[in-house]
Amino acid sequence: MNPLPEFPEEEARYRALQELDPRTAGALEVLVAGLHDESWRVRHVAAEALKRLPSSGSVAERLIRVLDERGQTGARNAAAEALAGLGGAALGPLVRLLAHPDPDQRKFAADILGQLGLRAAEQPLVEALGDPDLNVRVAVSEALGRVGGDGAALALQGLLADPEPLLRLSALEGLTLLRRPPPLPVVLALLEDARLQRSAFRVLGLVPQVVATERICQGLASPLRSVREAALGALGTQTSVAETVRRGEIEAVVRAALRRLPDAAARLAQALEADDVTVRAGALVAVAALGEASLAVPVAEAAREDRLLREVLHTLGRLGPEGGRALLAHMADLSLPARAAAVESLVDLVDASSVTALCALLEWAEEDLRALVVRALGRTGSPEAVRPLVDLLVDRTLAGAATRALGVLAGSCRTAVLDVLEDAVMRRATPAAVAALARVGGAPALPVLRLLARDVEPPWRAAAVAAAGEVDGLAGRELSRAALADEAAPVRVAGVRAMGRMGGAEAGALLRPALHDEDPSVRLAAVEAVGECGAVERAADLEALVRHPDGALAVAAVRALARLGLAGPRVLREAAGHPDAEVVKAALSAGAMSARGVELALSLLGHARWDVRAAAARVLGDSGGPECLDAARRALEAESDALARQTLSDAVERLSRR
Amino acid sequence: MPRFDDSRPEMTVEEFRLLRDHVYSHCGILVHEDMKFVMERRLWPRLEALGLPDFGAYHRYLRYDAQRHAELEAAVESLTTHETYFFREPSQLKAFCDELLPLLEKRNARTRRLRLWSAGCSSGEEAYTLAMLLKDSRRFDDWDVEVYGTDISRRVLALARRAEYGPSALRATSADLLERFFVPAGNNRVRVRDEVRAWVSFGHHNLLDETGSQLVPRMDVVFCRNVMIYFDQAARRRVLRIVRDRLVPGGYLLLGHSENLLNLGADFELVHLRGDLVYRRPELPGLLGGEGR
Repeated sequence: MNPLPEFPEEEARYRALQELDPRTAGALEVLVAGLHDESWRVRHVAAEALKRLPSSGSVAERLIRVLDERGQTGARNAAAEALAGLGGAALGPLVRLLAHPDPDQRKFAADILGQLGLRAAEQPLVEALGDPDLNVRVAVSEALGRVGGDGAALALQGLLADPEPLLRLSALEGLTLLRRPPPLPVVLALLEDARLQRSAFRVLGLVPQVVATERICQGLASPLRSVREAALGALGTQTSVAETVRRGEIEAVVRAALRRLPDAAARLAQALEADDVTVRAGALVAVAALGEASLAVPVAEAAREDRLLREVLHTLGRLGPEGGRALLAHMADLSLPARAAAVESLVDLVDASSVTALCALLEWAEEDLRALVVRALGRTGSPEAVRPLVDLLVDRTLAGAATRALGVLAGSCRTAVLDVLEDAVMRRATPAAVAALARVGGAPALPVLRLLARDVEPPWRAAAVAAAGEVDGLAGRELSRAALADEAAPVRVAGVRAMGRMGGAEAGALLRPALHDEDPSVRLAAVEAVGECGAVERAADLEALVRHPDGALAVAAVRALARLGLAGPRVLREAAGHPDAEVVKAALSAGAMSARGVELALSLLGHARWDVRAAAARVLGDSGGPECLDAARRALEAESDALARQTLSDAVERLSRR
Repeated sequence: MPRFDDSRPEMTVEEFRLLRDHVYSHCGILVHEDMKFVMERRLWPRLEALGLPDFGAYHRYLRYDAQRHAELEAAVESLTTHETYFFREPSQLKAFCDELLPLLEKRNARTRRLRLWSAGCSSGEEAYTLAMLLKDSRRFDDWDVEVYGTDISRRVLALARRAEYGPSALRATSADLLERFFVPAGNNRVRVRDEVRAWVSFGHHNLLDETGSQLVPRMDVVFCRNVMIYFDQAARRRVLRIVRDRLVPGGYLLLGHSENLLNLGADFELVHLRGDLVYRRPELPGLLGGEGR
């Protein structure tokens, strides 16, 4: 073994290994010497470097020998760390190590195989369950939980009847990791063993049946906090794996059980503060079942853990207007994630009594939350919400949300909304009021719109043109035609879009100048408008844009041609060769239903981008014939991206049925 | 009259991946696979503000629109939670006060200069907390002290400069500390006292930006707590390289209680304090031995 160069300082030794070229002759032995260093930093950097050495097979064999060095605990652990990072190259040597005479070595092998997580280790590990040494069997059982597979699950299930509690425990944990619960009667029997109870509850949570919920609820009533928390953890898991339709049944069982407990609310408040996130998840389910509005604030605070956000929102939504009032009263005291969750849930919890508190919140809430507050105001159904919403139309970032909220509010108090909007337009408060007025007022708003379309200021002209088409087609066409010649680009964009929506015989001809406009935003809007209004006579203009270096324009052109039904082979070919992947995906989408599209999809299964490969797989699944099956299977075998793999797998399944 | 729909679009798995990759390539922040729902909820207000119909359109906006750079910053701000509060992780702060501050006082006695960096400072609570602890120690009263807070979010920096906080930020602040370091600001809020603010400054900084990091002066201590959780291994390594570069030799790095440098091949040495584990940039070989090893 080559000794590590003599550097008295740890830092110098660390640097020497870090800078070592892995191709240097003797690098392996220098690094192995590093595994024996007194400093953990040096051992760690040596282990990292070993993972990068070429010929990883011989590296693995050498590391196995280090594992055999008794008394060298640091070196053995570092060698194990390096082996776990070698991937498939370490598999063979480690499987052979499972037969080593020394049980410590066999345990090392099982531990590292578990860390590797390779399915190929499943069978050797199953066989190693017959090891005479208990510690090895436990390590093998834990490793099986990580490598997965039917054989592993079956073997672990077999261990549940083993007389040795440690083995039963590790088997339960393994089955939980694999998300493969054993039959319910087996789990119920294991729950009776206090040593296994926590693990048994965990696996019970994977059974989405009401009878499992009933047993979990018995745990909720336990005088022992540890049992209650294990049961809550199971409840959280069960709700996450159960189908949505089962959720109601689960909650009904939980509700009935909790109502029998006089201190249920206090216990749940305590559980919402638990360190274990699965316990908090279960507590949220229980609060939702109970509908306990007094817990609204701690429930909202559970959103500090991002992973609980969905459950927090569901639970808050179950607390009714009383919960909404509790949240509004404590909004300033909440942490930011809690406040975000609370505001979002308010959208479904508010009523007419909430307007004042919501308006107060608008004064100081964070920018992102204000859009949600605006939405909630629209849901109050109160005339008192109209004025504040109209006032918000001057806020550029909230104008869209306020317009939509006014639209919703008009469902319950249309006259009040109209009066205030007309007043806002007359006062020239903001052009955003024009769109809202048109949406709520309809055709009677047309005279005002005509007037505004001749306004001095471009934003008002643009707003009037955009709105006119929504209330009256004839007037809209007239105003948008005039807008196409406007000197201000935003007005031309409004005219182009309105023209696209309304269409008509002349639309194609009128949109032609816009396709060549000096302003790119007008050109982009014109391309989209041509597709929207079906102006087939403009196809040649669009075809020329498919090769445009601006990806946005090229994507829009391909989409527009697809809408016109004119995305022919040449268009698809050119788009598929575009350097921007979005254009390539647009081509796949455009040709999805055609034989040419299927051909294109087959040619793109090896594209460098995962999203293009996934899009190609989708086309094959939708439109491909049985002749595509082999290519799809080959692509599936070669695919490394999880999402593209899933899409390809779906495609293969669908193609197999044709 | 038309019916108005205020329902929200759902994010597809593919849209999630595209947006996630886009954010990652911009700033190294990794949104984990199981966070699709959270991403959907956090980005929805952006769609609302821009009037976009779905997340695919939002992705295209981030790719092509003239305002895409500003919007990407807005997206990152929405995705990163800024949940923090004063005097967070008290056991670590106690170790900092009881064990590191005396060392720093001794070490910098000649220059009487102290520089602390709150990296990923969010709305400023940590930076002000550090300044308060320095004030409280009375060791550095007439020193040249600067606590430097940086964050990638301009919005939270504006909040940090305003230095006004509500009850949630003060949930771990004792009545005594509240009395000494804050003044009432109305509306159930308080403002950090001017003498504390005088020791704290803020700046905009992406922790992965090596060029931008040159603007950060050399630090005696870096607090980078609960920041690494947003990054993947590769990005963490880059951040640590930058942090190491900005530390004086022998300077300290403090991470959050759930964070460590395992598997990061870190260029730091572990220092066992009585009350905490911290990391230190090694002294130059052959020079100082360093205390606390």
